[in-house]
Amino acid sequence: MDTSTVNTILLIFHYLFFIYTVAVILSYIILGTISLIETNQYLKKNKFVNYKEILSSNISPSISIIAPAYNESLNIVENVRSLLSSHYVNYDVIIVNDGSKDDSLEKLIEVYNLVKVDYLVNEQIPTKPLREGIFKSTNPAFEKLIVIDKENGGKSDALNMGLNISKSQYTACIDVDCLLLEDALQKMIKPFLELTEVKVIATGGVIRIANACTIKDGKLLDVDMPKSMLERAQILEYIRSFLLGRMAWSKLNGLLVISGAFGMFDKKIAIEVGGYDTNTVGEDMEIIVRMRRHMEEEKRKYRVAYIPDPLCWTEAPDSHKIFISQRNRWTRGTIETLRKHRKIGLNPKYRSLGLVSFPFWFIFERMAPIIEVVGLIYFCVLMFLNALRWDYAFVFFIAAYFFTVVFSLVAILSEEHTYHQYKKKGTGIKLVITTFLEPFIFHPFVLYAAIRGNFDYIFNKNKKWGVMKRKGLVNKS
Amino acid sequence: MNNKLKIVLAEDNTTLSLLLKFRLEKEGYELIMAEDGKEAIEYIEQQMPDIIITDIMMPFVSGLEVISHVRNKLNLNTPIIVFSSAGQEEMVLKAFNLGANDFMGKPFSPNELVIRIKRLIG
Amino acid sequence: MDRVQQFINYYNGEPLIIQLVWIVACMLFFTTLIFIIYLKILRVKLRRNEKLITKFSKEYELLLVTYLYTESGEDGEISSEQKEVIDKLKESITNKFKREIVVLSFLKLTNEITGEMAESIYNLYANTKLKKYALAKLKSRKWDVIAGGIRELTLFHVKEAHDKVIKHVNHSKREVRKEVQLYLVNLFNFKGLNFLDDLKTPLSEWDQIQLLEELQKSEDQQIPDITAWLKSPNDYVVVFALKLAKIYNQFGMKEVLIDLLNHTSEKVRLELLPVLSYLHVLESKEVLKKDFNSRTKDEQIAIFKLLENLGETEDEPFILRHIHNSNFEIKFSALKILKDINIEKFRSFNLVPPESEFVKMVLFIENN
Repeated sequence: MDTSTVNTILLIFHYLFFIYTVAVILSYIILGTISLIETNQYLKKNKFVNYKEILSSNISPSISIIAPAYNESLNIVENVRSLLSSHYVNYDVIIVNDGSKDDSLEKLIEVYNLVKVDYLVNEQIPTKPLREGIFKSTNPAFEKLIVIDKENGGKSDALNMGLNISKSQYTACIDVDCLLLEDALQKMIKPFLELTEVKVIATGGVIRIANACTIKDGKLLDVDMPKSMLERAQILEYIRSFLLGRMAWSKLNGLLVISGAFGMFDKKIAIEVGGYDTNTVGEDMEIIVRMRRHMEEEKRKYRVAYIPDPLCWTEAPDSHKIFISQRNRWTRGTIETLRKHRKIGLNPKYRSLGLVSFPFWFIFERMAPIIEVVGLIYFCVLMFLNALRWDYAFVFFIAAYFFTVVFSLVAILSEEHTYHQYKKKGTGIKLVITTFLEPFIFHPFVLYAAIRGNFDYIFNKNKKWGVMKRKGLVNKS
Repeated sequence: MNNKLKIVLAEDNTTLSLLLKFRLEKEGYELIMAEDGKEAIEYIEQQMPDIIITDIMMPFVSGLEVISHVRNKLNLNTPIIVFSSAGQEEMVLKAFNLGANDFMGKPFSPNELVIRIKRLIG
Repeated sequence: MDRVQQFINYYNGEPLIIQLVWIVACMLFFTTLIFIIYLKILRVKLRRNEKLITKFSKEYELLLVTYLYTESGEDGEISSEQKEVIDKLKESITNKFKREIVVLSFLKLTNEITGEMAESIYNLYANTKLKKYALAKLKSRKWDVIAGGIRELTLFHVKEAHDKVIKHVNHSKREVRKEVQLYLVNLFNFKGLNFLDDLKTPLSEWDQIQLLEELQKSEDQQIPDITAWLKSPNDYVVVFALKLAKIYNQFGMKEVLIDLLNHTSEKVRLELLPVLSYLHVLESKEVLKKDFNSRTKDEQIAIFKLLENLGETEDEPFILRHIHNSNFEIKFSALKILKDINIEKFRSFNLVPPESEFVKMVLFIENN
């Protein structure tokens, strides 16, 4: 290869990189703008919504909260209590004890006066069988509780059993240690009931990080900023992605994922598509993609909606090891889902799902860490060859850095304008400092985890969920 | 010696509690206000009121649990009146099954409440 | 200055793209500074507002409760303390921020209490001229302001505003139309439902539930003739009317309801079936059994739910044809019905080996 070909290749390479960067920036700006407009619209529309009627009405649709639990003995009693205190009339809580090796079941039986009941399960989705059986309470105050004890099969399998057992029209699939605010159910069900032209198949909620928040007896008493950079950076990241990302996708009807920590589904459709996939670690994304694909194939008009209100608070990883494990899993989940449904990519039959959402997710989510690493390697190579224009690198870096900072600040400002959850003095400064430090202290871990994810996906097929040590929300008083 | 009859009132709407407090104190009762079920239970255990008035939908520990606690754990016969929002017949039935004495659907007339209290404790 | 000159020379020598990047980088840098300052100001303002809201809320709550408890004059005249309250409030509400807090404080009570006390609050609302501001909102061009105004008028029972409100009944924005509907039903109960006669827009489930809840609260439970609505060309009106039929026990509507069994919209038919069941319309069974196979799966399941309630011995042959239906719910229903209408026949199915799904179902139904 002679010099001019090498130069041409390098030039193409440069241009591709440049185009990619511009595309990323443009996409952030477009999505951010649409998100802000949409959130504003949502707040206007819901300013005087009276949620009281829907919760006391016996015409309001039935909802089942399904919460899989594995070795959650430490906090399960309190978590269940919290789930039972939702302000909605027509719902039940299905706890699926997925073959726990601890005394979760015994604790529940004791505190909630449970007895085993005879139950005929409509096995619409194949699952691992029951173990101890199905339990209900003899105390009318806990009438809404159903506890299922089954053999271990993983989160998806547990959720599927919940779907089989539920007799409700809608199911809210939730992580058992998520703190659900009292009006979460009625806010989440609203899109299902409100849209007349299209069928809403699922709604997603915003996940807020509860680390350092005071939670007592299942009630969110105080919101505060955690001390560690890792946790703060996650808060910032969540605000960015929920307020400036997902709202836009919801508006464009392009949402590919609803957080596994809290999402509500039309049960019939969830079962129609076969429930959750037990072979993936990204079951929350996978089922949405599959449900959307199903609706496209059936040529039915549909929407996946999004509620920007803070409704669900959960614990984020506070150690780097667990964090990397979580992000690794997310990466593998994304790769698995995109690969499983690759048929829809750039396929006009699937309209915007295939032509917009899928390519976007593929290029800007799945491929992004790889492209970034390639860029870094290239940078290092140039450096070694002394071929680096330091001044170019400098200005590009400054521009990129401040773009990130500005974008994060926009996220923080929109959070202040809308929900203003972080009221304490000084949290503003903390968030700003986090914004400045994030690219240096947080982002490398995210990148590393993503690369590990890619690596594990290819070479380490047996890896599943990894470790998530439960500290529990309850003990932080 | 304080001869006033004691009422523990559990209600999370501050304006409503204030209103009821005024009204009931005017009638000569002594009012102890709780903002949720947990507080209510604490006050009940401390103060041994003559009557308990509680909303059903309250943060965390619901009105139903308060009734259950009073009747089953504390084994008291203190009269209990519950408030409920319209349409919660099921909840009201449960309340009665657990041992409540009377209920008032919201929106309600404070005058009516006074009459019912008098009927139960004079 | 020399440095700056150096930089400018350097800058001018660079390709356009690099120049652009420099400009962008600088712009972003300054934007960062502006945003940070703005953030600080915003947070201070929000914190201050919150303190003010708490302070004013307490003040207004107290004023309101005082007003409600001071004795009025002999013939219902306003007492001097009450007059004081009115004056104080009138003063405050000229300020928009305070006005909103006052309204919110009032609203905390209006939802919870009725009777004379509620009337007092409505009078206070009128006397302090808060009403005037709400009416002014109706003239706004912004839809959310109009909707807010109508809502306030609803919550404070301002019946005189009817003509002004009804102008918006066909507003292009769904939220405004909904507020108008709620206003009409809240203040005029069943008479307020007249908008259904000409309704051309959809009525979502959410809206229907809200309207029905409002209706149930009214003292006047005299429901008008719903026949016209059951025959409406607007499917949503039909669905709503069906809900009314069920809640208000409209037994007289049997013929109209049976006609609806052939309605073009599946949604209507699905809403209809439980109503037929609830109202014990036995005559519907023949129609349903005859064209059972031409109905959708959801309808079939609903039909069996109906038969669970209305099943009689004469339905046995039909039931027997479906105890092995491929659909779990229909099978289950069928067996349940069979147990009710012919227990011996039902028990006879116990003989097959117990591992089969079918027998498991039979045993379960027998024992529960």
